[in-house]
Amino acid sequence: MEVLGRRDILNIDRALGLYRVLDEDGNPVAGEPSLPDKLLLDMYTYMVRARILDGWLLKLQRMGRVALHAPNKGQEAAAVGATLALKREDWLFPSYRELGALLVRGMTEEEILDRALTTIDDPLKGSDFAIYGHRKYNIVPAPVPVANQIPHAVGAALAAKIMGDKIVTMTFFGDGSTSRGDFHTGLNFAGVFKAPVVFVNQNNQWAISVPLKRQTASPTIAIKGVAYGVPGIRVDGNDVIAVYTVAMEAVERARSGEGPTLIEAVTYRLGPHTTADDPTRYRVEEEVREWERKEPLRRMRRYLISRGLLTEEEDKALWSEWEKRIEETVVKVLEKPPLPPEVVLEDVYEEPPWNLREQMRELRDSIRLLKELGVELE
Amino acid sequence: MPVVQVKLPDIGEGIAEGEIVRWLVKEGEAVKRFQPIVEVLTAKATVEIPSPYTGRIHRLLASEGDTVRVGQPIVEIETDTAEPGEPQEPVEKVREQTVEAKTMQEAPARGPTAPPSQGTARVRAPPSVRLLARKLGIDLSKVKGTGPRGVVTKNDVLAYAEAQRSAPQPAMQVAREVGVQEERIPLRGVKKVMAERMVEAKTRIPHAYVVEEVDITELLAVREKLKPLAEEKGVKLTVLPFIMKAVVKAIREYPLMNSSLDEERGEIVVRKTVNLGFAVDTPHGLMVPVIKNADSKGLFQLAREVRELAARAREAKLGLDEVRGSTFSISNYGSIGGVLGIPVINPPEAAILGVGRIRREPRIRDGRIEERSLVYLTLSFDHRILEGGYATRFLVRVKELLENPILLLAGDGELD
Ligand SMILES: Cc1ncc(C[n+]2csc(CCOP(=O)(O)OP(=O)(O)O)c2C)c(N)n1
Ligand SMILES: [Mg+2]
Repeated sequence: MEVLGRRDILNIDRALGLYRVLDEDGNPVAGEPSLPDKLLLDMYTYMVRARILDGWLLKLQRMGRVALHAPNKGQEAAAVGATLALKREDWLFPSYRELGALLVRGMTEEEILDRALTTIDDPLKGSDFAIYGHRKYNIVPAPVPVANQIPHAVGAALAAKIMGDKIVTMTFFGDGSTSRGDFHTGLNFAGVFKAPVVFVNQNNQWAISVPLKRQTASPTIAIKGVAYGVPGIRVDGNDVIAVYTVAMEAVERARSGEGPTLIEAVTYRLGPHTTADDPTRYRVEEEVREWERKEPLRRMRRYLISRGLLTEEEDKALWSEWEKRIEETVVKVLEKPPLPPEVVLEDVYEEPPWNLREQMRELRDSIRLLKELGVELE
Repeated sequence: MPVVQVKLPDIGEGIAEGEIVRWLVKEGEAVKRFQPIVEVLTAKATVEIPSPYTGRIHRLLASEGDTVRVGQPIVEIETDTAEPGEPQEPVEKVREQTVEAKTMQEAPARGPTAPPSQGTARVRAPPSVRLLARKLGIDLSKVKGTGPRGVVTKNDVLAYAEAQRSAPQPAMQVAREVGVQEERIPLRGVKKVMAERMVEAKTRIPHAYVVEEVDITELLAVREKLKPLAEEKGVKLTVLPFIMKAVVKAIREYPLMNSSLDEERGEIVVRKTVNLGFAVDTPHGLMVPVIKNADSKGLFQLAREVRELAARAREAKLGLDEVRGSTFSISNYGSIGGVLGIPVINPPEAAILGVGRIRREPRIRDGRIEERSLVYLTLSFDHRILEGGYATRFLVRVKELLENPILLLAGDGELD
């Protein structure tokens, strides 16, 4: 039988195996990774910041100050590791569960909180329902329908290629999102036209209450890339060094014109799907406990300590420093005034048509009236 | 130091109300801003609500078990300093506002238990007018619309509010006088589920009953002997696990007790493993957690699971898979007090065993009067599946096992 295809690039073993630099307890599996000390410490710091911020967003939601939050806990490594492979001029097309990626791109905790609390400084002026984005850092706001960002990232990558910009786009999406047509359209198109895009699938085992085995009959998600001529690499998504390593390779491939890569980061969502979800209704405690043992911060902390880059005391200090800084930021952001209601009608048309102008007048009237009556607006 | 009210925050997509599960602070206790103060059960999950202020708990305005609406004040906090940026309203101002809102209303304020007023859905009014009416506490269905096709306008609402302000409010007084005669408790959550299942059980299943008196004097003695061993294994041994043991053993000989009726296909479905449900009286209502594969578990394991599941039931922390799939149930009302009860079958099961209170009474044994420990067991069974003879023989077997604990505990692994 004749075998067709470029077996070298479409290395099926990589799509079916699991690439890993550290084992679950933070011991290197095949020699010390040769990455600069500072980068290793940065990886950890970004994850710590994401973890702390995630906790705050949950708390603020419980106080009624944030509409909805999708907890990140357990998935910090995939977001941080992959994004660290990008350059400043590259573009990020995130989903809703990548606080670490936003931080790596340069978005500050304050900017993220401004967005989440829709304060007067919200970079997206209240639009898009609690999902992040920021023009200044080349982060395109994540759309609410899952997987929509995939063709966006492909289109932007192709546009850059046509215009001769040497940039790469990277997009994140969950395991459940691979069941949407947009995933298949995006991969197929990117494969055919060799778009400089990196697809990062955060396979966290669940799409709300639907487990992975109900999502696909494929043995892995990475293997799906192969059928589209897109190399698939399956990596331990809780091993930040491993994610970074494969993302670097994918970004370089993309930048040098070789086309897209699909990275499947195998991870686990330790918290609820969103603040409106109760996972105890559909998954068992033992599963969560097992993954808690494999969570990414513990692993990286153990590695840094064993490599002599961090002591227990320094680790404690790092945590308390960021806990303090982020709490101060939260307090500051809570004091900011909210966005004025009028912004809901802004940024849609350059010149609003008569009906929008009419609605705007109506809205202002109502607000003034309520104020005159002494009724507090929520 | 100002006292400020904390309202139940808007904690989720479409959540309108929640039940106070547990207060994590007491009146008079100091609290820190962002510290969790109360656990609230919503339609979606149980969540911890953090305090928006640093200070001291002045007064809890809702009790555990109460259902509160989003926006309803739940606690008053005496703050150290007014935290800027929070949408806070000093209590006095809040009170004034509520009073004002009430005087402008015809009926008492829409409280947490009042049903939504009828007819509002059919009123035609733009959103801004609806908002205005809501803010002023006005029932839009009472306002006559003067706009095209009867649309209620802003002016209609304002005119109505003005008229209400100057008119006396007889309706309100009447409502108050009559209102003290009754309290309306909405059927919700666990209670609602109970109501629905009981209707199903009592209307669809022809129940029959049989009662036995069981002498558990010896069993209690055995339990005393086992206690040190149980303690060593960290188990608190009550009578219930023994009864469970007897039930699963007897089911082995009477498998139809562990079945259900597939009405559609006209078949009796005999379950091959025994999942034992047991009723727990919790602050939120009746819950029936399930011990899976009870027939393959030892006495101590059963005791352990009874304790764990009951504790989780009381804290409203049971997962869906912990209350599902029971094949036979036990109701131990005797632990509270009834001498003899007649339990209702937990559909789709074939039977339920009721356990009465343990009584000490004289009985004649070997010609002598002795003080014995006795308990009534009631078996309620589905008479479509089981004949009276079969069910009675099963119950007699349960009695034999309980009266001869050696039979009950004989066998490998029974004490695991
Ligand atoms: C097109 C579309 N369908 C349904 C939803 C509702 N929804 C929001 S998140 C989600 C699950 C997505 O799962 P996954 O892609 O695995 O991402 P995860 O939440 O696990 O990070 C669903 C079904 C949606 N947002 N968009
Ligand atoms: Mg998922």
